[in-house]
This record gives sequence, C-alpha cells and structure tokens, in this order.
Amino acid sequence: MSATDELPGTAEREQPGPIRHKGPGPGESGWLDPRGRGHGGRAMALHRVTGLVIVFYLYLHLGVLSMLLIGSSAWSSFLSVVTAKSFLAFEVVLIAAVLFHGINGIRVAFVGSGIAVTRERAMFWAGTVIGTIAVIFAALHVLGALS
Amino acid sequence: MHPQHDAHVLIVGGGATGGGLAHDLALRGLRVTLVERGEVTSGTSGRHHGLLHSGARYAVGDREAGVECIRENMILKRIAPGTFECNDGLFVAVCDEDLEYIEPLIEGCTGAGIPVQRLSAAEALRLEPNLNPDLKAAVRVPDATVDPMRLILRFFATARHNGADIRPYMEVIGLLAHDGVVTGAAVHDHVTGKEGEIHADLVVNAAGPWSERVAAMAGAQVPMTPSPGVLLALRGRYCNMVINRMHKSGDGDIVVPQRGLSIIGTTSWVVEDPDDLSVPEDHVERMYAEGSKLIPALRHAERRAAWAAARPLVGSAGAATGRELSRTFQTFDHANQDGIEGFVTITGGKATTLRGMAELCADVVCRKLGVDEPCRTHQTVLLPHTAYYSEAVAA
Amino acid sequence: MSEEKPPPGGPTVTQTGQDDTRRFRVYRYKRGDGGERFDEFEVPVGPYTTVLDALRWIKQHKDPSLALRFSCLHASCGTCGMQVDGREALGCVCSVQDHGEEITVEPLANLPVLTDLVVEMNGFFRRFPHEHPIIRSSGFSADGEDGEDGELHLEGGHEVMLDLPSPVPLHHHPLHHHHRAAPPAVDFVRLEDCIECGLCLSACPVAATSHDYVGPAALAAAERLLEEPRGVKRDDVLAWASRPEGVWRCHVGLECTRACPADAIPAERIMALRRELMFGGPDDKEGKR
Repeated sequence: MSATDELPGTAEREQPGPIRHKGPGPGESGWLDPRGRGHGGRAMALHRVTGLVIVFYLYLHLGVLSMLLIGSSAWSSFLSVVTAKSFLAFEVVLIAAVLFHGINGIRVAFVGSGIAVTRERAMFWAGTVIGTIAVIFAALHVLGALS
Repeated sequence: MHPQHDAHVLIVGGGATGGGLAHDLALRGLRVTLVERGEVTSGTSGRHHGLLHSGARYAVGDREAGVECIRENMILKRIAPGTFECNDGLFVAVCDEDLEYIEPLIEGCTGAGIPVQRLSAAEALRLEPNLNPDLKAAVRVPDATVDPMRLILRFFATARHNGADIRPYMEVIGLLAHDGVVTGAAVHDHVTGKEGEIHADLVVNAAGPWSERVAAMAGAQVPMTPSPGVLLALRGRYCNMVINRMHKSGDGDIVVPQRGLSIIGTTSWVVEDPDDLSVPEDHVERMYAEGSKLIPALRHAERRAAWAAARPLVGSAGAATGRELSRTFQTFDHANQDGIEGFVTITGGKATTLRGMAELCADVVCRKLGVDEPCRTHQTVLLPHTAYYSEAVAA
Repeated sequence: MSEEKPPPGGPTVTQTGQDDTRRFRVYRYKRGDGGERFDEFEVPVGPYTTVLDALRWIKQHKDPSLALRFSCLHASCGTCGMQVDGREALGCVCSVQDHGEEITVEPLANLPVLTDLVVEMNGFFRRFPHEHPIIRSSGFSADGEDGEDGELHLEGGHEVMLDLPSPVPLHHHPLHHHHRAAPPAVDFVRLEDCIECGLCLSACPVAATSHDYVGPAALAAAERLLEEPRGVKRDDVLAWASRPEGVWRCHVGLECTRACPADAIPAERIMALRRELMFGGPDDKEGKR
C-alpha cells in the first residue's frame, strides 16, 4: 500500500483550485477592471471598449444609410433627429472614441513592434495631449461654437 | 524511479537538511515522505545571504569546518551546475589591524585545502571597483553566490522524481509512539484543515531551530540553541564577488551580491523561540556601518528589506552570542541517548554542507533500517529547480 | 506579543509593535469545506512592518491555520507574491505604511489557489520554454588588457577555473538600471533578474482572459535566450514564441513590467522578441538584437 494513502488531504490536493481574477464579473472580464492598473492596462481596456463602440457604430451607420433606399422623407425626418444639439453630443463622444482608438493604436503599433519602446511613456502623454486638443476642437466645431 | 526497499522514512522539516536527506534516501531506494508545515525552505534555509562558502571563514579557527566546506563547495558546483555565480570571493583588509589576519588566513586555507591567491589593493580594485579605495590587500578564495531556495529545490525536485512524497503545508502536531518506539507522526493538513496520521519505520527530525520542539514531542532531548542574526538587503548590485572582511568573524563582515541587490550580514544573539524574531534597528544600522567599510557606496543605498533568521546551533544555551558554538552538524540517534527507537535527529550545520550532512544522517538511517546502500549524492547531478513544479512522476 | 530576551546592544524594536494598528482583510480558502471567505484581523504595526510581517504575526498570534508562502524574506526567492489592495506585490517588501487603515490581502490572480494565500505554481512554470537557464553573463565584455586567461593558479596546488563564458557583446538595455560605478573588468556571471514570482502573470489583463497564454515571464525568459543563447538555438526560441499562445497574444498592457519587483522588464523583453520576429534576420551568430 502506498504511503500517500495514509496522508490526509491527498485527494483534495489533486483537485483544481479556484482561480482569483480581477473584476467583479465572470473570470474573463478581468481585463476590464481598471482598479489597481497603470496607464497601460487602462489604455488597453479603453482601446477594447472604443473598438467595440466603433464596430457598433459602423453597423449603425450602415443601417442608417440604408434609410436612403427608403426615400427622402424618411431620410429628412431621420436627419432632424440626429442634427439636434442633444444628439450631437453623442457625435462628440464618438469622435473622442475614434481619436483615442486611433492615436493609442499608433502608440501600440510602435511599441508592440519593439520600436521606440523606451519612449512609450512619452508617446502616451503626447497622444493624450494631441487627442485632448483634437476632441475639444471637434466638440466646439460640432456643437456650433465655430462655423 | 520506484522505491526498491520497503522501509518507509518520514522526514519532519522541509529545509536544506530535509531536502538533502530526502534526496539521498530516495536515491538509495527507500520510501520517503517529507512533511513541512509551510512552504519548503520557509524556515532558516531560505533566508541566508546566499553564500556558498569556500570555508576560508572557518579555516583559521575551525579547520575541520574549513575542510568540510571546501569539499562540499566543490561537490555542489559539480552536482548543481548553473545554480551558482562562480565569481569567487575576496577577503579584504581595510585597515592595518586587518593585515595581521592575512598570514593566518592563508595558512589556514592552505592547510584545509582551500585555494587562495594573494592580491594587491590595485588588483582587488580592478576586479571590484566599488571596494573601499583605502583597502590594503586582498585574498581571493572560491566563494560563490547561490539562490538559497533554488539550490534546495533541486534536491527536492530530484527526490520527488525519484518517488519521494514531498508534502508542504502539513504540520507535525505530535509524534506517535508505542513501547518506546516512535511509529509515525500526527499531522495537521493546512490545505484542508483536517488531521491525520502518518506511519513510518523511522522518523527523522530535520526541523532546524525547531528540532528541540519536535524532539520533545517524543520525549527526546536535543540541545539546540536558536541563534538569530539580522541581514540587510540594499538596492543595487555593488559587487560581483563575495566581499568578506579580513578579520575574525564579526558583525556585518560580508557583502553578497544577489541579482540586483547587495546583502550585508550579519549579527548574532540567542533566543528561546525561533518563530518570534525581532529585527532591531540598531542591528540594521550596524550592517550599514560595517558594510560601508567594505563598499563605501552601500552607506547611501536604499534599503530593500531587513530580516532575521535563526541559525540552528547545536549545543546548550550557556553561550552568550551564539558565535562560540561550532557550526558543525550532528546526528542524534535517540535510541542511544533517550532510549527511544525509531527516531533520529539531524541538526546544526551550514547551508554549504547540506549534502554532507544528509549523507551522514542517511548512513545512520540506513544502518538502523538494515538497508545496505552506498551514498551516491556526491556524483548525481540534480534536476533543475523548475522540475519541482512539474507533475511528479508517480511513485 | 511573546516575551523574548532582547538582543545585546539595544532595546528590542519588533517589526510588529508600537502604537499603530491596521485591519487586515485576508482571503481564506480551505479545500473540503468549500468556502472562500475573508477574515479580519487587527494587527499592531511599526514603521518597517511589511504585509508579510503582519500575516506572519496573525499566524503566530491569532490564527495558526493561516497558510502562507514565503522563504527568503527579501524579494529574492519570489515566493510571497500576493495582491494587496488589488495590486500585485511581494509581501516581504510591501510596506504597511504605503497602505491605509484597512488592507485587503488576496492570493495572486490567474493561478489556482491551493489554500488561503498560497497558489499552485505548477501552472506558472509549465508555461516556460523547455530550457531557461538562470545563470547568465553579467553583460559586460572583458577588457582583455592584461591578458587574463581565465585560469587561476592558486597556492595550495589546486587549480580553480572560473566559469568564464566567452566574452559577449555589451547588451546595454536602456531600461536596465543597475547601480554600478563602472563596468567590471572581468567577465562575471550572475543570476537572471527574474525571480519567477508570478506577479506579472497575475497583473496581465490577457492572462485574465486566456488560460493558454504563456504569459510575460515565459516570454521574457525566451527573449533572454536570444540575448544570450547558452546553447539554445535561436530558431527554436523564435518558433516557440511565435505560436498562437505566445508573443502575439500580448496586447501591450504593460502591466507586467509595472508589477515586476525584480527589474526583469518583461514588457520590454516581449516587445524585443516581437521585433526580432518581425525584423530580425535569419540565425545571426552574434546574437545581436
């Protein structure tokens, strides 16, 4: 008889144990939890979220364009909704999402190819500054302050 | 590899001693179970500064220890290649008083068979530019740096792959005895919270500074004096060689590089309880002061950690600081001294001599169990430490 | 607090003692009784108390059933990895003074829990390339000025050869800071920086999602094999790294380098590995990056 049979807990030790994961949701959502993360992890989470937003918007946009097939009256009434100031605010959010995804994407493309890795922090802040200015400019333009 | 003999040995304690012994006995074909209350090497064995002694430090006062050390030093480098920074060590004289030690040091080393080389101050500074520029002379010896845990894990890995059952998080809470014969141990499993019993033909107490406590569970005596010391880890790798102060053993007389850290050690005092060790700030300050006599830049290096570890010194408390007791190891067959069969204690020793200690104890164990197998650990290359974490070959 | 004889030379200043007290919320899990839960303990702390000191105090004085993993107590063995207030740290160098009144301690993420704060490291080591030696050259070339031949002729009649590897080109990684006054004049060897602690795997957002991803530590180990082959073939390393669960799963979260307590810079090494795969030529004997 093997000695291991005598030891308590042998069977229990062979079971798979629970895995701790970040985030309150199911295990696979750990990437989304920004708590305890640095700028890199947060940027990555936001990159994924904005990516989903952009994909969603693309489908929405195509669906909307298909209204042109229905007729000009349907299109006109649609336009009156989407050109309202309140709705334009969503446009600014969308622009911010696209800008973030694009600028961060450039940073990720460089760093992820092993180029300018030591200047990653600088790229992040430069991108933040450029992106923030661009979003402010877009907001002012879209919401009518500039013409 | 399957155990070839029926005899079952239970080893209490998962440090260097337990690991070395588990490996030796498993290699001789015995059935081995080892239990450790925490993670392996979580006692004293994992906490030392990572020095693989050349034996030079002991050759002057304790020639026997010096001979043991250099022999084990060479064996370990052979059986565990790729685990040591074999960069040698320096004994450095920073004042004229230190220079008085150079001849006894060289003579002691030569007598113990420890290779030595005299260096001028300039040669020493060329090797180690961060040394005290006022140093007078240096002596080079084959010290090496080791990662304490990873070396010991190699023994555990090899033992495991040879069929030993290594069981961390299983604490011995009592020893089972019948008619003056120890038959096993009562254990508490920290993984499940359950208790149970392990039966064995022989129990070996390899619990380091806790040996006295474990022996008492069987009514046996072990004269153990836990003797802690403080060590200090500073950020920055200020040397590649081990830097020793050229004088008699004292506080803070060694600097050992460990990856990106420099370790300064150590001090010495005696305690009753090896579990509750303080880290007095004045000892930390002493490390800074003594260490910067060897490498001045250490004075301003950032503290990474300060900790204490209890040496398992064999001998009774009567010693004031612990430095008076010998660093050699001893095996106690409790049948001889306490009239208790089936129970052996091995304790004392230094990290460098773990394999030699295990050989001595394994010989005693095999003799008691009537197993006639020679020791082969001096020539068996150990598995890499990562093998400890792969699924063990089924016994 | 147990009484103990003070060491000579001054009053005892225990690591856990003095006026400050913190509340620790500690994750508990024992197999067989099912529950994962958090236990709370009030712990006296001092100016240098680490989270591991506090946990060991709890085990010693409040709950001996608390299972902990530790060994060296100075960020060298890498065994005491845990999450403290949701952030990866080695308990032995995580100062209580950097945290608030209540401190939450959990095991590392993305590896199965054995018990309480101890995770099973088998899964971590399984991800590594088959060979990953832990000794390397110190990274500086021998100056060769006085023709040292690497052989040491010593008194006592023993010859001891230093394990000098052949001189390697200087791989000065700009992010690799080690405080040195000057490069050593002789080739020395040293242990790799990586202490295999698993903090990077716990912090990695991709590892949170994918159990197959080999993770930052394994990829960094592969990159170090490119830097200094030590007998491993470059093509084998690149083939290993370019598998689907290898280097391309990284999404540049950079959390691994942030979590690393040992300056092993895994993120930078992963990017270097990717650069090699994309722009590196065929087997380059000099091992240049």
